[in-house]
This record gives sequence, C-alpha cells and structure tokens, in this order.
Amino acid sequence: MAEMVKLSVNGQEVEVEAGKNLIDAVGAVGIEIPHLCYHPALGADGNCRMCLVGIEDGRPPLVPACKTQAAEGMKVQLDAEHIKKIQHDVMELELINHPTDCPICDQAGECALQDYYQKYDGQESRMTVPQVQKSKKLDFGCGVVHDQERCILCARCVRFTRQITKTGELGIVNRTDDARVTIFPGRPLNNRYALNVVDLCPVGAMTSKDFRFKQRVWFLSRDKGVCHGCSKGCNIFIDHNKEKYKDDIIYRFRPRQNDQVNGYFICDEGRMTYKKENEDRLTVAKVNNAESIISSAVDTLKNAVSSSSNPVFLVSPNCSLEQMFAIKKLGETKGATLCGFSDGYIKQGDGDDLLIQDDKSANRAGLELLGVDTSKEAFQSAMKEADLLVNFNSDLTNSFDADTLDELLANCKFVMVATTQDILTDRAEIVIPVAAYSEYSGSVINADNILQMFNKAVVKNEPFDDIVNIVSRIGGDIEDNSAAWAGMKASVPTLKDVEPEQIPEQGLALNS
Amino acid sequence: MSIKVKTIVRNGRSWQERLYLIEVFKGMAITFRHFLSNFLDNSKLAVRHYPEVKPEITPRWRGRHRLTTHEDGTIKCVACYMCQTNCPAQCIQIEAGERGDDRTEKVPVKFDIDLLECIYCGYCVEACPMDAIRMDTGIFSVTSSTREEMKMSIDQLLATKGAFSEEEYKKGGA
Amino acid sequence: MTLQDIILIIIRVAFGAFVPLCFVAVSVWMERRGASFIQDRSGPNRANILGFRAGGLVQNLADAVKLFFKEDVIPGHIKHKFYFVLAPIIVCVTALVSFAVVPFADTLVLGGKEYLMQAIPTDLGILWFLAIVGFSVYGIILAGWSSHSKYGMLGGLRAAAQTISYEIPMVLAIISLLVVYGTVSLNEMAQFQGQLLFGFIPMWGVLLQPLGVIIFIIAAFAEANRVPFDLAEGESELVAGYHVEYSGLKFTIFFMGEYVAMFASSAIIVTLYFGGYQIPWFNTATLIKYAVPVTLLLMIVTPVAAKFIAAWIRKNNVSHYERENDPRVREANVYIKIVWGTVILLEAILFLYLVFASGGAADNILVACLQVCTFLAKTTCMLFVYVWVRWTLPRFRYDQLQKLGWNVLLPLSLLNIFVTSAIVVALS
Repeated sequence: MAEMVKLSVNGQEVEVEAGKNLIDAVGAVGIEIPHLCYHPALGADGNCRMCLVGIEDGRPPLVPACKTQAAEGMKVQLDAEHIKKIQHDVMELELINHPTDCPICDQAGECALQDYYQKYDGQESRMTVPQVQKSKKLDFGCGVVHDQERCILCARCVRFTRQITKTGELGIVNRTDDARVTIFPGRPLNNRYALNVVDLCPVGAMTSKDFRFKQRVWFLSRDKGVCHGCSKGCNIFIDHNKEKYKDDIIYRFRPRQNDQVNGYFICDEGRMTYKKENEDRLTVAKVNNAESIISSAVDTLKNAVSSSSNPVFLVSPNCSLEQMFAIKKLGETKGATLCGFSDGYIKQGDGDDLLIQDDKSANRAGLELLGVDTSKEAFQSAMKEADLLVNFNSDLTNSFDADTLDELLANCKFVMVATTQDILTDRAEIVIPVAAYSEYSGSVINADNILQMFNKAVVKNEPFDDIVNIVSRIGGDIEDNSAAWAGMKASVPTLKDVEPEQIPEQGLALNS
Repeated sequence: MSIKVKTIVRNGRSWQERLYLIEVFKGMAITFRHFLSNFLDNSKLAVRHYPEVKPEITPRWRGRHRLTTHEDGTIKCVACYMCQTNCPAQCIQIEAGERGDDRTEKVPVKFDIDLLECIYCGYCVEACPMDAIRMDTGIFSVTSSTREEMKMSIDQLLATKGAFSEEEYKKGGA
Repeated sequence: MTLQDIILIIIRVAFGAFVPLCFVAVSVWMERRGASFIQDRSGPNRANILGFRAGGLVQNLADAVKLFFKEDVIPGHIKHKFYFVLAPIIVCVTALVSFAVVPFADTLVLGGKEYLMQAIPTDLGILWFLAIVGFSVYGIILAGWSSHSKYGMLGGLRAAAQTISYEIPMVLAIISLLVVYGTVSLNEMAQFQGQLLFGFIPMWGVLLQPLGVIIFIIAAFAEANRVPFDLAEGESELVAGYHVEYSGLKFTIFFMGEYVAMFASSAIIVTLYFGGYQIPWFNTATLIKYAVPVTLLLMIVTPVAAKFIAAWIRKNNVSHYERENDPRVREANVYIKIVWGTVILLEAILFLYLVFASGGAADNILVACLQVCTFLAKTTCMLFVYVWVRWTLPRFRYDQLQKLGWNVLLPLSLLNIFVTSAIVVALS
C-alpha cells in the first residue's frame, strides 16, 4: 500500500496516494479534473491548460494539476469562479478552429472535447472570422486516418510515437493556428502499435480506417475481454452491437488498462483479431460432409469416441483452462492420448519487448500447467497408432503442410470441434461448431504466468455451445466451469488455493 | 389562511332525475332530433367524403418522410445516425459510407425506413442536424399490398418532393 | 287437406321463418345508418352493385359474404366441441321459434275455413313465447362455458343472472296483462285491442297497462341483451363476453340470433301493447265492411306518399361535393322510377280488385295483407326504438342492473298486478 496523504478538494477532505500528480491522485477517489493533453502513460506535457487548478498556499494563482504532486495538507480549488472561467476560456480557445462536425465524426459520443463542452463551456461560438482550413482525411498509414482540423494539438500521438514505440513518425509543424500534426514526407506511421493513437486522441482527429463510419459508438456495448491474439493476454474492451434483425457482431477491440499485463495499449495485430470472431465462422455441423444438426453430430462423435480403440485428442493452446481440463478428464475416461502439440502457433523472433510475444496462443502456460504433452514427437507417435483424431479447435495447418497432413490423417478418422471454417474442417468427417472466446467465460494463463478470467461478451442469435459443454455431452464428467475448477483445484497443486470468483480484474500472478 | 371551497353542483339528485325515465326520454328526444334532421336532409352531416374529398394537409402535418437535397441535387444527409438513435420505433436503418463529393466525408449508402414500424412521431425530423429528413410530403395514406413495399429505400425517399414551399414549411414551425 | 290448406300452411311457415331473417338485414342496416344519423355521421354508404347502393343495404351483403368466407376457427383449448357448436344454434333457433306464435294478421276466413295467421297455429301464445325465450339463455351460458375462457365464462354468467332476474318482472307484467285481456292467446289479445275505449280511443295495451308496458319493455331489452343492458358482451371489460372465442360462421349465427331475438321481442311488444296487426280505429270487421272505400283511399294515398318519397330520394341521394356527372343522381332517377313502378303496379292490382273481385274472399285477403303490412310497420318502429335507445343510453353497471331488476321492477310489477286486479274486479 502506497503512502497516503490528506488534502482538501473544494473544502472536502480526501485521502489520496502520495507521489502522484493531482489528476491521478484525486481522480482515483472519484473527483475529476478535466484534462486533454495529460495521459498517465505519456506523462504530463502541460500544453492544454485544461487542468489548471488553484492551490491556496501562496503559489501563483493557477497551477497545472498534471504537473503538481499531491502533498499533505494541500487545499485544491476546483469550483472557484476563476477556475471555472479558465476552463471555460480554454474550451473556447480549443473550439475556435475545431469544426463542429460531430454528426460525421466517429469520436462523437466518446470525445473529451464534446463532454467538456457540455460540462464546462456550453456557449455558442463568438467567432466572426472563418475557421482555419487544414487538411482532412490524411492517410497516416497503419490504418490511421488523420483530420487536421479536428486536432487540438495535445500532442498525445506525437508523444506516443516518441516515448512508447520510439519510432517518432509524428510531429507538430508550424506555429499558432497553423500548427498541425503530420508525418514526415514519404514516411508514414510504421510501427505495430500505431492504432493506439486513435484511442489516445481525445478528439476525432485520429480515426481508424477499419472502424471508420461502421457504427456510432453509443450503439456499442462494451464488454471486458482478454485478447487471444498472443500469449500476452492483453486486456481489451469488446465493442459489439446487435443491430435490429442482425446478429451480435464485434466492431472493434479497444485496450483496457491493466498495469500488470499490458498497461494502456494493445498491438494492432491483436486489435484486428476481432475479425476472426466475426468472419468465416463455422455455423453448421457436418457428418461425412452432409449438413447435420449439432446434437446429432455430437451423438455421432460420442459413438465414434466410444467405439474407437485408440483415440487421440488434440487440444488447442487457445482453449481456456476449463476447456483443457474437461478434455483432459474426457481423455482419461475414454483412454485417449491427449496432445497439446501446437508448434505452429509460435513465430520465432516476432515478439518485441513491449507487448507482442512470439507465441501466438493465449493459454500455452495453461497446457503446461495441466501437464499436457506439447511435443511434436509425442503427437506424431500417437498418430501412428490412432484410429480417431478429435481436434479441439487447434490449427494444425500452421504446423504441417497439406501433404504432411494427408499422411498424418491417412489412417484415422478426423473430427474437428472448431469455431472457424478452414481446410481442416473441410476434410474432417465430423465437424461441430463451438463458441469462440468472446462467447464463453473462462480463464487463461499468459506468458508471464498471470491467470486471468474473462466473461461471455457476445450473445449470438443462435449461440453455439462452449467446448466444455460439448465435451460433457460426449461423455466427460466436467459439466461446467465450476466443476472444472473444482477438479483443477483438486489435481493441480498450483491452483489449489485459487478461488475462481476471487481472481482480481488485474489477474492473479501464479507463483510457480 | 383559509381554504377556498368551491361547491360543485351535483346533478342527478332531484326526484325527476332519480326517476331516470324522464331523463331517458329527454335524451332520446335529443338523439331523435339529430336522426330526423339528418334523415330528411343528409347534406349537413359532419363528415368528409373521403377519398373523393381529401383532407387539407397543413405544413406541420407529419406525413411520409423524404430526404432532402442540396440545390445541386446531392443528398443533405450525412449519415450521423441521429434519427436512428432517436427513433422510438427503431424503424430507421442506416449504413454509412465515404462521400465522393467535396461536401463532407460521410454519406448514407443505405437509408431504410420501415413504414410499418414507423409511428410518425417526427423525432427524426427534430433530431436531424442537417434538415435532411422531413415529413412534409403531405402523404398521409401509406398503403401497400406487401410488407417489402412498405420499406422505403434511400432512392424512394429522395424521389419524393415536398408538398409545400420553403416559406410555408418554415412558417409551420420547422 | 285441400290445396288451399297446404298453400296457407306454406305461406304461414314461410312467413314465420323468413321474415325474421330478412329483418336481420333490415335491423342491421337500421342500426348502422340510424346510429350514424344520430351521431351526425353518414354510415356505410359506399358498397354497391353496379353503382346501386340501396341506401347502404348492399353493405350488409358485403358483410355477409365476408362473414361466410371467414376462417371458422375452433380454438384448440376447447374440449367440448359439440356444445361449442351447439350454443349459437340454440340462440338462433330459439329466437326464430319464439316468433312462431305471433299473429301477423287476424284469423283469415277462406271458404268457410278459419286460418290462424301464425307460423304455428296454437293458442299457447304468450306461454310458448316465455318458455322459448327462457330457453335461449341456455345457448349463451353454453357458449360461455364451452368457450373455456375467462371472458366467455364471465359473459355467460352475467347473461344467465341477468336473464333470470329480468324474467320475473317480465312475467309479472304479463300476468297483469292477462288479467286485463283474460286470455293467453296472442291472437285473441290482438283482437281485444281492436276495440275502442270510450268509443274513440283504440284500446291498446299501452293505454290499459302504462306501467306494465314500461316494465315489459325494460325487461325485454334486458332479455335481448341490448344496450343499456348488454353487460354480457361488455367489450370494455369482457372483450366480447360469451362470443369472444367465436369466429366466422358461428359468430354470424350468434349475431343473427341476436337480431332475430330483437325482432321477435319487438313483435311481442307490438302484439301485447301496441295493438298487434290492428290498424287503429279499423278493426277486422270494419275493414271488411268498408273494403271498397279503404281501397279507394289507398289508391289516392299511395301516389301522394310516392311523391314525397321521390322528392326525398331526389334530395338526399346526391354527392355532397363537387362531382362531374354525379352518378348518384342517375342512381336516384332509377330509384324514383322503381318507386313509381311499384305504385303503378299497386294501383293496377287494386283497380283489378275493385273491378273484378270486390266482395267475397278477396276482401278477406286484402284485409289480411293490410294487417300484415301494419304489423310489420309497427314492428319496424319498435326495432327502431331498440336502435334509438342503444345510441342514446350508456350501459348500466352490473350492480345497478341487478338493483333495477330486483329493487325497482319487481315491486312495481307486483304493485301493477295488485292495482290492475283491483280495477278489473271493481269494473266487473
């Protein structure tokens, strides 16, 4: 627990963490100090002057809250008339050249300037001269579209490329009302985190080409999730919407702050994995290439597993812990060989020291924790004996080419329990569609051995079953996640003391 | 402080009224007068002979919707979804796209109004920041033999012209 | 049995069976257009055949066609389909049969034989009527019960309680009437009313029984489930009451049954209190005696009446808005021609009667025809009263309805019996 100091805001006594600036310290107890340029990850810049507050201790009348440390006995003024006037005037200054094209601006609804205008300004423009015209719809690369007119020059994006990605593609050129954010000629944004500037931008100056005009943000439901794009397990908001007469569709992923895992950002690649949740989804079950209803396909699979003398279960490293455990239990009852082979998920040298990992699977640590053999040799030797391979959503195509696959699957029946359609589901004899990770609840362990829970976010019109459920219908003992947890606590020493309900939102670091 | 007391005359307490029959006959006399005068001369009936005689539509009447255009014929709508957001019946469905001309960046590529769901409340008109949707077509009778025909597409909405001049419309309170 | 007997049986039965059914159309038409005129509306006046609207009567035809071709649904939850189907039939048939004893003309004497001009020539009269009408409530109760729905059940129960409550004052009113007339035969009652009181006033029941007629009419309204006593249907609280589950043809039969019952009870009211088929001051004997002058009078009156009717048609059958070549004027011309054609036909028949057939059996037939017309005219007036009251009075509350029946009508009718008996005893 950090050291606490007592100070008063508007005459009200509050206890805040010491060593933080006023915006963060006071913000943590629910008192908001308006700010545009300050961002906790980027540090104080002090250029917007929106966070000016008064402190009654003989200092100059106004100090920027972003640059002022919280100290014992401080008397912070937020609602004094001159503070309100300063906020009002700063807003008026920002809005002099800001086009009020909120109707066509994607940021409308989550725009700091819009909110502050309602809260601190609320007057009509007094300007009689035309607004300064700047360039609009500039393609900055990496799917970032920039509108210079809307920019309020808070320099968050510039600082991001300089401090976080250290690539420095962006800069502010010119002065006064001609100042603008731009790239160097012929050198567009070129880093793997570029789309974070869209989230950082407090206004609609930076927009994502991918999300542009797709939805108004107030239609979106924001549910918490964990990105399955790599073994970092970045925390995300799943922004999805079920439009009238349509299915529940994910429109974008946004980073969710988690200091223990990903901080404030996510990578562009992970951000775009939402498309996998929407596109090419497997929607119908198949038995011997004929469409079938899911329940009868499950029954067929059940019979196939029971009659098989030597089944092999292949578990995806993207499965949740609960699913892995359910499959493992099923394997034990049915005498199946359990394999976690998934070398294809690892892209050597792709990771960096920021967020991106080599391993593109979300829960390899889970596989290892449950003691599933992930070696290639074990898989290949098991396949030699096998007469049935049940693949639980593992992508084998990134490990083997088509010829090797043919060879591997030559002598056995092949079953896919999968979320998306690919060449594997095309060649499988039984195909059963299941829920993707935005549609079920579960837990994953990331590369840093942090256990994170996530909940169901998307509810499709015709929801598919979770793998846990499918496995129990094939004949597994584990009926649901709580049963899986009970089993895991009993059999896995590391998880012995873990209460699934009490895993904090920041994740639980497993000491192993 | 005194309370103001207003005595309300209660009818129906006198014995003639309590007898009820007399009041019944009085009522019947009134209705019979109406019957007889209309029976002998039906020219003074308080009816409008619709559909031959059309009702007079005022500029404030909320008729079927239309989408307005700029002078050069380009659509005013910028697909801001304000109407869709405000619509209590959720009968408007918009899809936005990039705009080709130099007016703005956004334009609707799909703008459907399902007239079977519409309750003609006029909130879409109120919400529109561009005066792009109006209900001044004067069309009050919307009929069709199929459900599909009741779904107005962007082209149909653009094709209809307003029934009133700009001055009349503005005078109507818009 | 002679040919004459057979023909007369056919005529009488046909009259008893078809006239009420035809009057269903007339009453519905009267109800709808009457209601609209009372409310300053126009009412149904658009449905037409080749441009002829018959004042809105064609709308009835359209409605009938619609009702006949509607899907006839029996809801799946209904267990006793037989009773469900039986209920509307009971309502309709009892209403029809109750009319069977009402005389629509005085006893016809042809070739020395007397023919009671009733569909069922019986002397049971009012007793038959009471018995059959009491039975009609079974149809409603059965409908409510077999519908197996709360609304239907409540509607049926209300109808039952209401009918039982109002049958008592109704019967008591009739008892005092029986004391006056001294007979149960409706024909004899009608003949009684052909006399003159003090030599110059028609001795109608309404004058002899002023209190009785009010009690009887109120009770008859309640029996027929008409406004202001139509609580069994009470659409605001019971949707449609006992016929809420009925559709298509079965609903049509209920609907027709209601109007037939209305017609039958109008006929009974007319017979009991308004002189039945009697033309005031001209009882059967007088008519037969003065057959020739009466015919001459008719020959003069009909063209005059036709003139007024033609003027009325000319005035009202036009479009009340700008219209080129108004087709309604053409329509009116056709109607006026039909009116004059009818008058000419009537004049011709009367003329032929005067020249060739006056005196003898033709006199009796002529008088019977006149009496039938009188009877139907009076019944139509009574039907109009039903419509008129419906569009004037609001519906009673259920407790008010029962209070009126038991606390007011029952003592009044007992008082009426007492007073009537006292006077009758004193006079004799």
